[in-house]
Amino acid sequence: MKKTETTNKPAEKRRLIDETLLRLLSEVRRIRGWILLSAFLCLLLIGCAVASPEILGRLVDRLYAWAREPEPGLAASLLPGVCLLFAVYALREALSYGNTYLLNNVVTRFFTSGLRVRLSEKLCRLPVSYMDKTPAGDIIDRMQDDVSTMADTIYGIVEILLTGFLQMAVIAVILFLTDWRMAIPVVLFSPLSVFLSAKMATLGEKHWDKHFDLGGKLTSLAEEAYTNYPATKAFNREETLQKKYDELSRRHQQSGIFGNFLSSIVQPVIIFVDALAYIAVAILGGWLILRRGVPVGTVVTVILFARQLSSPLENIAFGLSYVQEVKGAAKRVFTLLDLPEEEDPKGTAAVPAEGRVVFEHVDFSYDPEKPLIRDLSMEVQPGQKVAVVGPTGAGKTTIVNLLMRFYDIGSGRILIDGKDVSELSRAESRRLFAMVLQDTWLFKGTVAENVSYGCPDASREEIERVCAEAYCDSFIRRLPQGYDTVISEDSTAVSAGQKQLLTIARAMLADRPLLILDEATSNVDTRTELLIQKAMDRLMGGRTCFVIAHRLSTIVDADVILVLRDGQIVEQGTHRDLLARGGFYAELFNSQYQI
Amino acid sequence: MQKLLSYLKPYRGKVVLATVLMAISAVCSLLLPTLMSSVLDEGVAGAADADAFGAILRTAGLMLAVSLVSLASVAGGYWVVYHVISGYTWSLRSALFRKVHTMTLAEVGRIGASNLVTRSTHDVGTLNWLISMLCGNMVIIPLMFLGGVALCMRKDFRLSLIILAAVPFLLAVFLLLSRKIAHLWEVSDEYCDKQNDLVRERLRGVRVIRAFDREAHAHKRVTEATRIMADNIIRANVSMAIIDPLAGFVLNTAALLVVFVGGIRMERGSVLTPGDIFAMIQYIAIILNAIVSVSFSIVLLPHARVAAKRLSQVTESKGVEDDRPAEGLRFSGNIDLENVGFTYPDSPAPALSGIDLHVRAGEWVSVIGGTGSGKTTLAELLLAFRSPTEGKLLFDGRDAAGLSPKDVRENVSCALQKSMLYAGTVAENLRMGKPDAADEEIWDALELAQIADFVREQPAGLDFKLEQGATNVSGGQKQRLAIARALLKEAPIYIFDDSFSALDFITEAKVRRALNERLAGKTRIVITQRVVSAMHSDRIFVLSDGALVGIGTHAQLLETCAIYREIFLSQTGGGSL
Repeated sequence: MKKTETTNKPAEKRRLIDETLLRLLSEVRRIRGWILLSAFLCLLLIGCAVASPEILGRLVDRLYAWAREPEPGLAASLLPGVCLLFAVYALREALSYGNTYLLNNVVTRFFTSGLRVRLSEKLCRLPVSYMDKTPAGDIIDRMQDDVSTMADTIYGIVEILLTGFLQMAVIAVILFLTDWRMAIPVVLFSPLSVFLSAKMATLGEKHWDKHFDLGGKLTSLAEEAYTNYPATKAFNREETLQKKYDELSRRHQQSGIFGNFLSSIVQPVIIFVDALAYIAVAILGGWLILRRGVPVGTVVTVILFARQLSSPLENIAFGLSYVQEVKGAAKRVFTLLDLPEEEDPKGTAAVPAEGRVVFEHVDFSYDPEKPLIRDLSMEVQPGQKVAVVGPTGAGKTTIVNLLMRFYDIGSGRILIDGKDVSELSRAESRRLFAMVLQDTWLFKGTVAENVSYGCPDASREEIERVCAEAYCDSFIRRLPQGYDTVISEDSTAVSAGQKQLLTIARAMLADRPLLILDEATSNVDTRTELLIQKAMDRLMGGRTCFVIAHRLSTIVDADVILVLRDGQIVEQGTHRDLLARGGFYAELFNSQYQI
Repeated sequence: MQKLLSYLKPYRGKVVLATVLMAISAVCSLLLPTLMSSVLDEGVAGAADADAFGAILRTAGLMLAVSLVSLASVAGGYWVVYHVISGYTWSLRSALFRKVHTMTLAEVGRIGASNLVTRSTHDVGTLNWLISMLCGNMVIIPLMFLGGVALCMRKDFRLSLIILAAVPFLLAVFLLLSRKIAHLWEVSDEYCDKQNDLVRERLRGVRVIRAFDREAHAHKRVTEATRIMADNIIRANVSMAIIDPLAGFVLNTAALLVVFVGGIRMERGSVLTPGDIFAMIQYIAIILNAIVSVSFSIVLLPHARVAAKRLSQVTESKGVEDDRPAEGLRFSGNIDLENVGFTYPDSPAPALSGIDLHVRAGEWVSVIGGTGSGKTTLAELLLAFRSPTEGKLLFDGRDAAGLSPKDVRENVSCALQKSMLYAGTVAENLRMGKPDAADEEIWDALELAQIADFVREQPAGLDFKLEQGATNVSGGQKQRLAIARALLKEAPIYIFDDSFSALDFITEAKVRRALNERLAGKTRIVITQRVVSAMHSDRIFVLSDGALVGIGTHAQLLETCAIYREIFLSQTGGGSL
């Protein structure tokens, strides 16, 4: 899916150097000291790379000399060169390993981890609206895969700029010094292979884009088919689905052939161009040996150097083909880092605590096109229990979002104890509320840690006390490690109903003046359900409560019922009043008893 | 593994062709250094010969020809290889997909949908990748190795021992290393997953985290995970990085030995020429390249073995459904459960036991019960997704055990608990129930399910595209679309499995009314947790802990069934009518 972003915009020309690349390079500056160290190691490596053909050439030259005029002591005369070359080889591989070791540590520890920590920090300050509309997978991909891909720039820099271009340049110079006549064909052929492989990479990119795109679709189709397995079977649709899958899979595979093919023949093409250079050297070298009396060793050295050119060439070709992908990843990461953050006022010293809540002409919408809450006004007295009811999509949970300031109101004011909440910092206003949502969120940690989430300093006794009050204590004690049992969102050790009870205990321990409850609609057995109700009643005692109500008993007992319809409060009053009025609430209430 | 490779069979001819092409290219690469050495030898030997340059030109021409053939054959080889792999992958995926749809619900549940997805994407990909790595190198490396050794042996037997020793030594070291490296990679992957899980958890819980002002804590947890992950990534990467230098060192040392020992042999009067020695040095370089490129596949071999094992678990799975062909039976709608019990394979307690339940054609009944009461298991029995482990399930007096599951499902239309809509248009989704339905029929079904207005509001109308998982509509809309789909299908029996839970009371009442009008005369089974959804039906069955604890009308059950009364009170608070 990532790839489609670029394919959708064919008009935009892909330039190699652009803003993203520059910013990426400036990120790399953070670790420039280490990169310089690595560059130094690379220079030594190049030194070895240059020295070894030179020495080997001389050794071979000696063999040829001996072949012409055999004289004793050949082995002895080879020995110093052999030892030297052995040392050079050992040094080279040690350096090469050392450099990889260094780069890996530096890149992973300082570059990628640094970026990931910054992204994590960013998550602390992004507005809730961003998380609501962005799939978690998308953010995780950026933190994980895209950051990893960005790390490739560093390897790229080392590979392209240092071991690539630099090594090529050094080799070219040495070739000219060794024998300028033979150097010419070698040096002329290398740009040709860079050009060809870069060309193939761009040619392949288009095919890869399509291949990845289809691959994403294929995965989605499989995902859907396997999760919807019962529906497919229930409607006897296996064959239709199979045909669809096979067809998509065929297109996916076919789109992959050419890209794979191109990637695979980059190396053979480079080898072929190399061979051309090789042949040119052979002809030229043969002629030089015959007519100009050039020593065979010189020709051998040139050949060995020419061979050394192919690996930096491959590096460069590979690096260039990768640049676009790296830039794509970097762009996604930078976009996330640059997102606007939640604005937060400084906060004030006087924080309200009584619990009188007033909405004054509040307007709000998630989407400017579709206004949701219009001119909402209401007044809630301290200690009152407010039930929010209405059909799905009427804006009930929006009230929670606004009270908790997960979203900012469009216009109007929300006052708590006469204080405009927009003057409080977000943390301050959130500290006024305890919250129990339908979606019982527990993090991976012990039961005790989860219960004390809103009050991390609570003692074990306090935790146990609220758990007893919230009817959690007995089942917690039956868990393998009691309060120290590690639980998480998807742990099966505790049931859905017990999770609800834990979130109630969590809210109790936090002990805030106001309370928001979002009643669960279902999925709890009747006995636990009764416990939950009792625990909730205890939690509500004496606090100003906003309850997104589904249970009739809650609604009937409420001090005020707010009836929402399409974002407006259409009715307001007690159960008895509203039934007597015979309006929308009465219709809503009565409809459940109609056949 | 063998079974998995059997999907390669149809491509035998192409595999042979690719092998031959690759072999040709390997032989060509082997010829080049020899030709090069002969240029050198000719140059040295022919210093006095007038035609020496002509000989060099001829050899150079030969080299060009050989290079061209090499390039052409390797390109042709890869072209064929990728066609083979593409066909192979297609067959494997297709077979997997087909297999999954023959498996029982229990088996699919046991393996898990997300695991099945991983198997048909990631695991197939790993095999595919391995085969493509091997297809090229499997041929080239042994050929290079044997060819190089053979050429050397012809010249000087003892000298060739050096190559003979170096290559297997390296391969053995890599095989030993691969186990350790694969393990390190696994650990590193595990920590990547851990960090991802933490981030996912944090994103899901953003409201709670902010409500309790614990973003700093959440951030710290992620940072800690990132640090541990980094340590493990480094460990895995660094262990992998040893391969390249090690191979380079061993083979370069071998080349050096060839020069030195070659010199000694020459001095002692072997037939070796310097050109031979030079050719051997180049063979070693070629082998080095080949080994480095194959070493990565060796390291990933354990990965591939795991992938293959997991794939076989699916392709070899024994948990398949009864595949007897459908007979095209048409039921009239009587359902009888006689002392039915059901126990899940690895569960000690039965999910359902001693259920005696009789529904006559045309009746409207509800099944009510809390979580874990066995409601869903009951629905799965009626859809032939599972068979009773005790007692009998009869449709019109015919034992379901003797019927094709396809026949049962043809006669039962259902709206499932998790709506289960497909990416595609509204019309496509509805037509699942009746492939040849006209647009009017679809509108009619949408109308009945109280969702026609919503569809009409969309510019695309019936062609409104639902995204995967129908994420672009609300939960209530999903349920109503699923209800419409079930209504469009013509069947004697209709099951609504908890499919009103996201509807508000008004909408539900309207849907209920429409169902009763339209489906009068058909058997209707409404499975629910909500009293409101059940109370109006002809008869209500109350399930609790897998047992049937009450049968009767709403009024009767309020009198006679304590559990029903409890449910009623907890949901309505005893609200008076």
